[in-house]
Amino acid sequence: MIETTLEDFRPMMERCSNCLACKWLPYEKIESRRFGRNCPSAAYYSFNTYSARGRFHLGQVLLDGRSEFTEQAVEAIHSCTACGSCDVSCKITRYNLEPLAHNIALKERAVELGKYYPGQKAAIDCLEAERTMLPGERHSARTDWAKDLGLKDLTREKAEYAFFAGCQYSFGSGLAEKARFWAGMLRDAGVDLGYLGKADMCCGGRAKQMGFKGAFEKQAGANIAALKAAGVTAIVTPCSDCYHAFKRQYATLGLEVKTLHVSELAADLLAEGRLKFKKSIDMTVTYHDPCHLGRLGEPYVPWDGVEKKVLNQIHTWDPPRPRYAGTFGVYDAPRSVLKAIPGLRLKEMQRVREYSWCCGAGGGCSLSSPELSSATASERLTEARSTGADAIVTACPWCLRNLEKAVDENGRQMKAVDITELVALAV
Amino acid sequence: MALEREAYRAIEDIVGKRNVSEDSSVTETYRCITSQSSAHYGPFNHQTPRPQAVVLPGSTEEVRQVIRICNRYGIQFKVASTFWAAMGYVGSDRAIQIDMVRMGGVRIDAKNMMAIVEPYAIGAVVQVEAMKFGLNCNMAGVGCSSSVLAGAAGWMGFGPSSLFMGIASENILGAEWVLPDGEILRTGSLGSDGSWFCGEGPGPSTRAVLRGWQGSTGAMGVCTRMAVRLHPWPGPKLIPTYGEVPSYKADGLENFRTYTLCFNEWEDYARAFQLFHEADVIYLGHRQFNMFGRDIKGAMLKILVDSGGQFSDLLPLMDDPYVKSENEKMKIDVQIVLAGLTERDLAYKEKAVDEVLRQTHGWKSEFMLDKEMRDFVLLYLLRLGRKNLNYTLCSSYEGNFGMSSNVFVAAPLMEEASALKRKWEQDTPHIAAVGGDSDMGSMSGIGGGGTTGWEFFVHFDAYDKDSIRGTKEFIDDSQRWMLSKGLGADMGRWNADARREDGYDYTQEEHDAIYKNLPQPAIFEYQWKVREAFNPRHLTGSYYRTKTPENVK
Ligand SMILES: Cc1cc2nc3c(=O)[nH]c(=O)nc-3n(C[C@H](O)[C@H](O)[C@H](O)COP(=O)(O)OP(=O)(O)OC[C@H]3O[C@@H](n4cnc5c(N)ncnc54)[C@H](O)[C@@H]3O)c2cc1C
Ligand code: SF4
Ligand code: SF4
Repeated sequence: MIETTLEDFRPMMERCSNCLACKWLPYEKIESRRFGRNCPSAAYYSFNTYSARGRFHLGQVLLDGRSEFTEQAVEAIHSCTACGSCDVSCKITRYNLEPLAHNIALKERAVELGKYYPGQKAAIDCLEAERTMLPGERHSARTDWAKDLGLKDLTREKAEYAFFAGCQYSFGSGLAEKARFWAGMLRDAGVDLGYLGKADMCCGGRAKQMGFKGAFEKQAGANIAALKAAGVTAIVTPCSDCYHAFKRQYATLGLEVKTLHVSELAADLLAEGRLKFKKSIDMTVTYHDPCHLGRLGEPYVPWDGVEKKVLNQIHTWDPPRPRYAGTFGVYDAPRSVLKAIPGLRLKEMQRVREYSWCCGAGGGCSLSSPELSSATASERLTEARSTGADAIVTACPWCLRNLEKAVDENGRQMKAVDITELVALAV
Repeated sequence: MALEREAYRAIEDIVGKRNVSEDSSVTETYRCITSQSSAHYGPFNHQTPRPQAVVLPGSTEEVRQVIRICNRYGIQFKVASTFWAAMGYVGSDRAIQIDMVRMGGVRIDAKNMMAIVEPYAIGAVVQVEAMKFGLNCNMAGVGCSSSVLAGAAGWMGFGPSSLFMGIASENILGAEWVLPDGEILRTGSLGSDGSWFCGEGPGPSTRAVLRGWQGSTGAMGVCTRMAVRLHPWPGPKLIPTYGEVPSYKADGLENFRTYTLCFNEWEDYARAFQLFHEADVIYLGHRQFNMFGRDIKGAMLKILVDSGGQFSDLLPLMDDPYVKSENEKMKIDVQIVLAGLTERDLAYKEKAVDEVLRQTHGWKSEFMLDKEMRDFVLLYLLRLGRKNLNYTLCSSYEGNFGMSSNVFVAAPLMEEASALKRKWEQDTPHIAAVGGDSDMGSMSGIGGGGTTGWEFFVHFDAYDKDSIRGTKEFIDDSQRWMLSKGLGADMGRWNADARREDGYDYTQEEHDAIYKNLPQPAIFEYQWKVREAFNPRHLTGSYYRTKTPENVK
C-alpha cells in the first residue's frame, strides 16, 4: 500500500539513518566543492531541519506532539521545492525510503491545518475560480494562443495527440507564441494534433507539490473527465510540470495516456527525418534539466503491495515495489534536439540529469519562499556561467521564468532561453 | 530550560538572526534517535536531550564569541560537523548545539601536499579537490559524507586507506582550535601561517590534550580549521563513471586493480594481512562487503551492481547455484585496491599480491572479477560514497565484537564470534539472519600496518521496538563473551562511559565512581587537571573522562 497520510510514513521517519546523503549529489558524481550540494532548501537555510532528513525527523516530532506547527516549522515544510534530488541521493543506498513523498505528505498535513502562505492561497483560489495557477489570468483567454491555427478541437474531433500547452505557455508573454510555434510545427511535420478547446485548463500538478491535495484531486478529476470524454490517448506538452502531472500524478488516479514532452516528439521527428534544422546558430549553451522532466519524469509503474521481512529483519516489498531513482527520466531527448542544431555547442554543467540542481520554482516555492527561490536560481546561473556558455537552455517554462529574472552570485544576469526558441530559430 | 534572553540575543547578534534558532521544530530535530544512535557510540534506545538552541557560526571569530557567551552564562555547548554519531549531540538540558555547516572551505596546498579544511568539508569534496592536483586524502571508514576535520579532531578516522595513508589523527599537520574558554590556539603549520608543514613541532605538542588517542569527541572546544596531509593519487583529475543510477561504476582506471582475496582458514587470512603490512603494496584494504553477512554478500552485490536490483531479489539470488557456490568461496575474504604509479610499479604490486596468495594458499574471487562488479567495487572503495549501505538491509545496525587490534587476536576467534551471532540469528527473530559472520573492517588501523579494525554488523529494524530490544540483549551477551575472552570493551561501547544510557552526561560523582575502580585511575586525575586548565567551567559535557583527585575532594 502506497503511503498517503503523514502517519503512514512513520516507519520511514524512524528508519532514516541521518546519513545526510540527501544534502549532497550522489557522492560519486561530485566534481567540486563549489557545486557539490543538491538540496536547495538545506543549502539556503543551513539547518538540518530543512533537508529531507530534517523533514523526516520533523514529521516524527510533529506526530509525537513535541513541537507545534510553529512559524519556523511551517517555513521548513513549505520551503521544499519538491525537486526530488534528495530522493535520488537517498536511493543510491536505501531501498525502503521515499523522502520526496514524505516531504509532500508533510506539506499536505500543514495545509489541512491551514498552515500555508497567502501567496499559495492566491494561486489555489485562482485555480478554483479560473482553472489556472497564475493569479490574474482568465480562463476565457486561455486558448487564445491557438486562434487561427486550425488545430482540431478534441471536444468535437479526434486526433492522435492532444497538445496541452499548460498555464505558462497559455498566458505568459513571449510564451504563448512558443505554444503556437510547437503546435504549428508538429502539425506541419505531419503529427495528427488537436487541443482541448474550452475544456483546456490547468493540470493542477503544482497544487499537489505544494500540499494542496484536495485542490489537485478536484482539478485532476475534471481534466481526466475531459480527456476521457474527448477520447484522448496521447498527450504532448511543452511544459515539464504538465508532463509530470499526466505521466506520474494522474497515473496514480487511474488515467492511462501516453505522455510525451515536445522535445521527445521532436527528437523522434528528427530521427525520422520529418523535422530538419536548416539554419545555424552560433552559440554555446548549457542545458538545465527540469526536475519534472528529468528525475521526476520516470514512467509510472502501478504498485499495490506490502512490506515483507525476510531473513528475520530484512525489508523487502511484496510484490517488488517500483524504485523511482531517476534512472528513466527524460534527459537525452532535449540534448539530442540541441545537438542536432547546426553551429550550436552544448556544454554540460556539473549537476545534470538525475542529479541536476533545481531552478528554485518547484513546489510552489516562488510563492511560498521567494528568497529561497531566487537564491536557488542564482546558484544555477552561477553554475551555468562556469561552463563558459552564452545561455542557459531549459525545457520548462517555470524554470525559464525563474532563471530569466535571476542573477548569479556576482549579480550578473545570463540569457535564459526555452528550447523552443532555439528550435524555432533553426527550422 | 530556555536560555536567558540576554544570552540568546547576544548569540543572535554574533551569528545573525537566521543562523540561530530556539524554535522547537529546529531544536527537536537536533536530537539523536535510535536509527542513528544505534550506529556506534551513543544512547541505544533513547534520545539525546533537546538543545536549547542550535547555532550555525560562520567564522572562527563567531565561534569564539559564541563560546565566550557560553562561558559568561554557564551554558554547555557541543559541536558537530556531520552528525554521524551520538557523540556530537548535547548531553544536558542547558546546552546549545553548534552546527558547523556554514564553514565548509577547502584549500589545497599542492606543493606541500596538504589540504586546509574547515569542519563542513566532507571527505567527498576534499577528495575531488585534491585529485585535481594528483593527490588524495585518507577517508575514514565512516565514508566520504563525513567531515574530514571531525574525524581527525573528534574521533579515530581509520578506513580502507589507512594502511597507505595513515589514520586521520596521523595526518594532522596543524589545527586552529577555539578552546572551551574561548581562547584561540593554532598549532603546526596553521600556527605559522602555512609557510611550513611539519606536525605540531618544534617544542611540546598539544595533540595529546586536544585529541589524544581516541579523539576529543567535542569535549575540547571547537576545531575551526585543520591542515591535513595529502597522499599521491595516480589517477585522473576526476574519476569517470558509467552505468545508471544507483549502480554507478568507475570507468577506465587503467592503472588500478581491485581484487577480493579469499582464504581457506583464518590463520591464512591473518598471515596474509601481516605480509601485506610488510610488503607495502596496497593502496586500499578493507573487508567491506562481508558487512552484509557471510551468507548474503554475493547476492547483495548482485543487487547493488544492477540498477534495477531490489531486495526482493535477495532470496532467489541466494538460491542461484552460481551465486551460491561463488559466495561459498568468498567465506573468508578481503577487498583490496592496487594503484600503479607506473606500469612497472603496478606489475610489481600484482606480483607481490600473487606471492602473498601463494604463501597463504589464497585466491582471487572469480565472481568479483566480472567487469561491472570490479568497476562498481573500485568506485565504491575509492570514493567511499555508499556508507549508508551499512543501514540498508533493515534500516539500522550496531556493532558487536568490534576492536582495533592485532589481526592475530581477532582471527582465531572469528568462527566462535560467528557461531554466537548465528545462534542469536536462529533463536530469535530480532536481528537479521545473514550467516553469523558479518565482520568488516580496515586492513590496518594505523599507517603502514600493524593493527587491524574489525567489527561484526548486527542489522536490526529501528522501527521495531522488539528488534531494538533483542539487539541490545544480543550485544550484551556478545560483550559478556568478549570479556570472557579477555578482550575488553567492544568498539560500540567505547563511549559507554562518556554518556549515560538515558542520553545525558554523567555527573562528576558518577565518573569518579567509574574511574576509581579502573586499573590506572591516575590517568583520569591527570585529565581532570587538563580539563581544569582548558575548560574551567566544564562546559562540554562528560566525554572528557576525568576523576577528581583525592586531594581536591
Ligand atoms: C556508520 C558509521 C560508520 C563508522 N565507521 C567508522 C570507521 O570505519 N572508522 C572510524 O574511524 N570511524 C567510524 N565511525 C565513527 C566516525 O568516524 C566518526 O563519527 C566520524 O569520523 C566523524 O564524523 P561525524 O560525521 O561523526 O562527525 P560529528 O558527528 O560531527 O562529530 C564527531 C565527533 O567529533 C566532534 N567534532 C565534530 N566537529 C568538531 C569540530 N569542529 N571541532 C571539535 N570537535 C568536533 C563531535 O563533537 C563529535 O564528538 C563510524 C560511524 C558511523 C555512524
Ligand atoms: S533521507 Fe535518506 S539520505 Fe537523507 S538522511 Fe535519511 S537515509 Fe540518509
Ligand atoms: S525535494 Fe529538493 S528541496 Fe525538497 S528536500 Fe528534497 S532536495 Fe531539498
